[in-house]
Amino acid sequence: MIRLVEENDRQAVMAKLPDIAKRYRELERALWRQEHLPAHVLELCRLRLAQLHRCTIELERSESDLPEGKRAALSRWESAAQYSAAERACLAFTEVYAMDTRALSDAHADAVKQHFGDAGLVMLVEALGMLDGMTRLCLLWQLAPQATGAEVTA
Amino acid sequence: MSRQPRAINPKEPTGSMIRDSALGLVPETLDHYLRLNRAIWEDGPLGPAEIEVARLRNARTVNCVFCKSVRYAIAKADGLDEERVAMIGDNYETSSLSEREKLIIAFTDQYYRDPGDLADTLKADLLRVFAADELVHLSIVVAHFSGFSRCAVSLGGMPDDLPLIEMSLPS
Repeated sequence: MIRLVEENDRQAVMAKLPDIAKRYRELERALWRQEHLPAHVLELCRLRLAQLHRCTIELERSESDLPEGKRAALSRWESAAQYSAAERACLAFTEVYAMDTRALSDAHADAVKQHFGDAGLVMLVEALGMLDGMTRLCLLWQLAPQATGAEVTA
Repeated sequence: MSRQPRAINPKEPTGSMIRDSALGLVPETLDHYLRLNRAIWEDGPLGPAEIEVARLRNARTVNCVFCKSVRYAIAKADGLDEERVAMIGDNYETSSLSEREKLIIAFTDQYYRDPGDLADTLKADLLRVFAADELVHLSIVVAHFSGFSRCAVSLGGMPDDLPLIEMSLPS
């Protein structure tokens, strides 16, 4: 199998460009610490992107703790009882963003703003850019997943 | 796409196009975002003209009117004139772009189309032409500008067309 990179984890790949990697880590840290969107909502969106892209390596890792049961039910978030209206609004936005960003409607945006305001919407689209980007890079770089049995059901 | 902005920044204008946009609503991440942007342009092995090829191909794919209208002065100074920009279109493969530039476009397209299914022939060509650190830089370039374009599209307020605008790197 031909691979674009020799390394098996993203930190090792990014270490080839230390100045850029440093700036990337700083942005990533700020993203998970900001107060416009709860970290667990971002984590749900990150994991949903991983499911949609069938990216095992992103699915098996954890950035933020999730309330009980939410990770396991994520592939059926629309019908599962565990999710709040605010979480559903962000997950609906995330799904359309992943498939075709141009298909996002004012209704998708309004639903997010209803819970998190204009700044929350901005935070969500900034975060999705970064999270979707890293998911796609994990696939392009063919990083090796760990054997944790993570579910990749879309 | 919505022509109405979906998020409004009510703060006093600073004169910075990016800080005065809706992105200015989240200053906690914007400063880091701009520092990463500058590092991507200045601290990687690819030159500005090659970065601009990837950025403009991405802008075209995402159809971000803002991104398509921008030309970075450092890329122009690095040799990417409008004649070459016009080649970053449907018929790029038969254009007089360099092999490196054509591979940058092919890689950018694959990033969108199916990042998990990069053909062995394309991988072999990329590995033959680019150094290892250049391929990592190219990957990050495409991911970064994809995120930026899709952010702009997601936030609405996109006109149908804009005149070209030459910019220096935002700070």
